[in-house]
Amino acid sequence: MKYFIFRNQTIEQFFGDKNCAYSGYDDITLVPAEAENYIWFYQMPVNSDSRLLSREINSFAEKLELVATSINPAKPFIVFTLESLFTLRLTGDSLQVRISIDGFNRKAIELSKVRPNVKVVDLSEFTLQYSADQLFNWKFYFISQTVLNPKLAKDFKIWWEHIERELALKRKKCLVLDLDNTLWGGILGEDGPAGIQLGGDYPGKAFTYWQAALLELGKNGVILAVCSKNNEADVFDAWQRNPYMVLKKEHFAAFRINWQDKATNIQELASELNIGLDSMVFVDDNPTERELVRQLLPMVEVPEFPQRPYELMSFFKSLVEHYFQVYSVTSEDMKKTEQYKQNAQRRAAQASFTDMDDYLRSLEMSLHIMSVDKFNLSRLAQMTQKTNQFNLTTKRYVESDLRQMLADGCRIYCVSVSDRFGDNGITGEIILRPMDATTIEIDSLLLSCRILGKGIETAFINTILNLLADDGVKTVKASYIKTAKNAQVEDFYDRMGFTVTGVVDDIKHYQLQLADYRENKDYYLIKID
Amino acid sequence: MEDRILEIMREVFDDATVDTSCSQSNCEKWDSLHHLTLISDLEDEFDVEFEPEEIAQMRDFNAVRDVICSKS
Repeated sequence: MKYFIFRNQTIEQFFGDKNCAYSGYDDITLVPAEAENYIWFYQMPVNSDSRLLSREINSFAEKLELVATSINPAKPFIVFTLESLFTLRLTGDSLQVRISIDGFNRKAIELSKVRPNVKVVDLSEFTLQYSADQLFNWKFYFISQTVLNPKLAKDFKIWWEHIERELALKRKKCLVLDLDNTLWGGILGEDGPAGIQLGGDYPGKAFTYWQAALLELGKNGVILAVCSKNNEADVFDAWQRNPYMVLKKEHFAAFRINWQDKATNIQELASELNIGLDSMVFVDDNPTERELVRQLLPMVEVPEFPQRPYELMSFFKSLVEHYFQVYSVTSEDMKKTEQYKQNAQRRAAQASFTDMDDYLRSLEMSLHIMSVDKFNLSRLAQMTQKTNQFNLTTKRYVESDLRQMLADGCRIYCVSVSDRFGDNGITGEIILRPMDATTIEIDSLLLSCRILGKGIETAFINTILNLLADDGVKTVKASYIKTAKNAQVEDFYDRMGFTVTGVVDDIKHYQLQLADYRENKDYYLIKID
Repeated sequence: MEDRILEIMREVFDDATVDTSCSQSNCEKWDSLHHLTLISDLEDEFDVEFEPEEIAQMRDFNAVRDVICSKS
């Protein structure tokens, strides 16, 4: 599996199913170790209560951090920014929501600074190309819970492939710069240190901005070097005396200012800096020099240079995008990665998710277990039709089937789950068929994938089994019927302490003798009606 | 028109053998996610918009064709 994607919405249309596996909706409990990369793609939930919405968004940041700590630090974790894909300014304070979104994105960036494997991808690069109507479509939201219009899937895939390439691209280490007509306008040897175009009005201003941008690049770990055909003394003089000079001698790790050919100079720079030629980028306004370097040193990257000074800033942006993307891991980061790897091995001896209970406790979950009634009957029938993944037997029923089963003495319970972010409504169901006075069979057990990963399935079945024990039931029979979609519950009954009594074709039969009261974690508030 | 529908279905399900007998029950790839891609592609191809009720009906080739016919 190339990517494992944490998500809270339907996004399969955008990443496809070939290389990707997906978490449950807003489920951070499962972190499959075999994934090569992890992705975080959460987007804004739909909620017209801006206070609740804002709280929920705030919780994403906590979850992101929890996930980041449990991922192997040697594997990339790609975090997409949260964007405001639609505005729901029906009531309340949209600024509050804005602040929460910004808070999440800030958190993601902070994480990427302390964890070298975390890379933040700015989703707004993609979304800003579209209008609000193009981005979000209520019809598709209601039929499939996708907050990004599936019509954008093709465009998204193209954009994502581009990002993937950038992520995979080896970051270059060193930028080798020419001087005349590259870092300033004009020719130093002819125009003199005061005569070159730098500072003041255009075009000098454009060169100042360009130098300032390059200086920032240098501060971010890119090695800057100079390779220029000039008299060295003239250049030192200009660096010192021209008041508009931003990039000066001290900003360059090495320089070759002489009349030797540039290919030789670049080779010397590489050995002086002890880096490979393939980690160098050479920028020169002169096409002849560029061609020479391309011919003699094909491993050096040589981009085209803009014709006009006002194009320098766009050129800078493309330089960064092509060669110095912050997504990539530098050698310094690699060292950190190694340290992280060791820490991770230490941690693996302990429980891998030490904070999980704290996290689950913080959700303030409450389970309301009810018998079937005329208000929920149709919802329960519908759930048997639609639930595929967490469904032990995948038996499909309509309302009249359920009524008939009730008439035959079956018991049907459902569970409604709420937490501090709101009420999920009825999301789980169990159908029990009595065999004799003390034996009962679980005909169906299913939960909506939306609430998985919070231990609710365990709390639900424990509570039901306790109820049955109270009623004098001694033996519970159950079965698992394999389908194309329900592999995740293949061993559910095993985990719940049932014993396999036989396997016939694709059906596993189980039995459980009810004995002790089954304890639930104390953070579930359970109410039974 | 049938050919255009089939062509889109073959592309979405990545299966060149899709024919007019194709339905959600006999085509493994035709799950809810591919359904959504199919709907979205058909809307673009035929320049129509399907209602959610229609989208729910379009469970086999014939139903897909009928819904599109009713729109044009």
